[in-house]
Amino acid sequence: MSLLIEAIGFGIASGAVIALGAVGFSVQFGMSNILNITYGAFMTLAAYLGLFMIDRNTNPWVALAVTGVVIGLASVVYHRLLLAPLVRRGTRAFSIVIVTVSAGIVLQYVIVAIVGPDTQTYGEQSGNTVHFLGMILTAGQVTIIALAVALMLALHLILTRTTLGKAMRATASNRILAQSCGIDTGRVSDAAWFLSGALCGAAGVALAITTVSFDFTLGAVFLIPMIAAAVFGGIGQPYGAMLGGLAVGVAGEVVAAYSNPEYREVVAFLILIVILLVRPRGLFGAAWAARRLMA
Amino acid sequence: MSAQAQPILEVQNLAKHFGGVHAVDGVSFTVGRGSITGLIGPNGAGKSTALNVIGGYLPPSSGTVRFDGVDVTGKPMHALARAGLVRTFQLARVFGNLTALENLLVAAPRQRGETARGVLGGRAYWGSQEKEFVAEAKQLMKGFGMEGKEDEYGRNLSGGQKRAVETMRALMMKPKLLLLDEPMAGLSPSLSHQLEEMFLKLRDEGLSLLLVEHELDTIERVCSKVVVMAQGKVISEGEMAELRTRKNVQDAYVIG
Amino acid sequence: MTTGQEFYLVVLLVYLGTNLLAAWGLNLEFGVAGIANLAYIVTIAAGAYTYAVCTLGPSSNHSGFQQYIGGYTLPFPVAVGAGALGGVVAGVLIGITGLKRLRPDYQAVVMLVISLMAVTVVSADQGLLNGNSGLALIPGPFSDQDPEVFRWAYVGIVALACVAGFFVLRRFTTGPIGRTLRAMRDDEYAAAAVGKDIVLLRLMVQAVGGAFGGLSGALLVAFIGGWNPGAWAYVETLALLTAVIVGGVGNDRGVTVGTFVIATLLLQGLQFLPEITAREGLKQDLGWILLGTLTIAFIWLRPQGIFPERRPKYGGQSP
Repeated sequence: MSLLIEAIGFGIASGAVIALGAVGFSVQFGMSNILNITYGAFMTLAAYLGLFMIDRNTNPWVALAVTGVVIGLASVVYHRLLLAPLVRRGTRAFSIVIVTVSAGIVLQYVIVAIVGPDTQTYGEQSGNTVHFLGMILTAGQVTIIALAVALMLALHLILTRTTLGKAMRATASNRILAQSCGIDTGRVSDAAWFLSGALCGAAGVALAITTVSFDFTLGAVFLIPMIAAAVFGGIGQPYGAMLGGLAVGVAGEVVAAYSNPEYREVVAFLILIVILLVRPRGLFGAAWAARRLMA
Repeated sequence: MSAQAQPILEVQNLAKHFGGVHAVDGVSFTVGRGSITGLIGPNGAGKSTALNVIGGYLPPSSGTVRFDGVDVTGKPMHALARAGLVRTFQLARVFGNLTALENLLVAAPRQRGETARGVLGGRAYWGSQEKEFVAEAKQLMKGFGMEGKEDEYGRNLSGGQKRAVETMRALMMKPKLLLLDEPMAGLSPSLSHQLEEMFLKLRDEGLSLLLVEHELDTIERVCSKVVVMAQGKVISEGEMAELRTRKNVQDAYVIG
Repeated sequence: MTTGQEFYLVVLLVYLGTNLLAAWGLNLEFGVAGIANLAYIVTIAAGAYTYAVCTLGPSSNHSGFQQYIGGYTLPFPVAVGAGALGGVVAGVLIGITGLKRLRPDYQAVVMLVISLMAVTVVSADQGLLNGNSGLALIPGPFSDQDPEVFRWAYVGIVALACVAGFFVLRRFTTGPIGRTLRAMRDDEYAAAAVGKDIVLLRLMVQAVGGAFGGLSGALLVAFIGGWNPGAWAYVETLALLTAVIVGGVGNDRGVTVGTFVIATLLLQGLQFLPEITAREGLKQDLGWILLGTLTIAFIWLRPQGIFPERRPKYGGQSP
């Protein structure tokens, strides 16, 4: 039983990071209707960027913030320069996915070409552990969970309390209607990509910290659990992604604890495939969202 | 009832719900063999949905469809098409990367080239049949005034041409019953008239048609029986001229 | 030509031949029939592994070194045939998951995930196919002959397979069946409305495409003698897809050119570049960077590829 509780504890820690990434991914899809597979490579970039700064004795929080901003800006530029024009010309969704996959490969291998394939680490974690309800977590993991919660709360506040947030929700649900209400959907899109890019960056750094050591495949490996989480809750719905992250994280850790640790990833794969084949709208997605998924 | 007199299509208590919306709410009517039946009604009456269900594009929520004496309820589109129940789409769905002629050739029934023997045997096996199909298709295109456009990509055709290709494609299948969803939309008056003449000729040759149309004059000229739908139900049935005088039909169109 | 150069030429030709078979299969599925099978590499892997377990003999022979299921000693042609069959099975299984009609980009992600999942499962289970280490010492034909004879004889075998393969391919991509598949690609519902059984067609295409993949994998592994999960990562399908996109989507000859350019010139030819840095593997990284950039460039500038699909003209004559 204690094994289960411990696994759940790990699951919450990894689930928090997965949720963070999933929310960003979800926002991008919700805003632009694009499955941005390059997201994974951006997370990898964030992990290395953060490492670069921390190795030069930057305060970790500053490094995190700077990374978030950089990835946010990079995401806006990426969308504006490559993805949006393709969509405008009527490129079909499948080809756009291929473009994002290819861009992810290019970015990933550029990173490798520059820094090499060796695994990296953010360094020693402090030995403090926190005991809570039978779960054992390191101080680092607790910090990450708190960070993830804080960032998702911030997003929630932005979406519900600010004018920008409301404009984002309006544009995501009906772009043309939003335009006719006078919303500058181009700017709003940029804002959404910046915010989701920042979350992506934060997720990348958080991943690097929680996995202790990582290499250039970091983003690619964790992207699938994040997509699974996003789809689990209902694609395009940031709140569903949060719950999905928890589900995927916990499920993965529980399975890993009771059988082969390698199967942790397989759990995420299975969740993704099963959801898409059985209930594409996810747990909380509306039927209209599901229609976006059907051919 | 003799086999000849048996209706080609019998729809009984057909219903189709989408969540709480009863698009088709208990519809029953028949289409006689070798006749043209019209299906009219205001927008939102459920005519297209009914056609979609009968044609196998959507599964029914309840009710039955009998085609040529056989219960075909819920059968998939391709099975119905092969049995002779052919439908066209409201928004013409032309194969964009195939030429106009290829669009017609695809629809030719029982192609030898599509069987396992055909694939292995190659042109020697299906070549002569293919030549026949090509001649037939060219003839059809000539009849529809599209001679010379055989090698035009489907995606480059005009709206009216696409609609014509859609109809020709249906005809290539040698159907027993044709379900047509607004075939005249987008056609010039002269082409519309030609199409009317063609329908009448086909009817004389034994083809049955179920026609959804908004152009009531066309319906009056061509259909021997008309079924009126409103809000998912059949509200009246009869000859067009007579229906025009019935109050409930007039009201349906005003209220919508 | 030195022995070293000669060996290298042989390797290039074998890779070209097996890549062609794979690219043709993928083009049949994706270019002609519109099935976005991003898990195609799994059919190649299925072919390779099937050939391996059909020729390695019982795993007890390699006790302690590698473990795997099966373990027969079949003659070369039979084992290759078994490999093709392995590809068929893999193709059909993948095809079944694709039957649920999802939006094409979601379908693509599902396929990628299936590809990843297959690699993960095989890597994780040591007893299945020797996990991450993969299988080695896989025998090829004429292994008792003079190596030089063997090499060129093998090139001959691959060439033969390609000629036969192309002949079979054309049977599926041209004529009435090719036309029907293209119609299915363009508009599935309209194809059903004209009487085409879409489910049957899709599974048939995935079986045939899988056969090409399986054959490709079997022929490749019989030559190089080893196979592990690193050889069939999901990016490999992308390499083939690039060949299809660059060469000409739906155009058999175009895809042949595309494969030659991508698989051979690009990926193998990079080996000829002088060592830039001390780090090995950098050239491969450059290869992937170039590949990804090419894919994006073509989708941006010329999505139909260098040689677009040809249209059969009827104005006057038969096809």
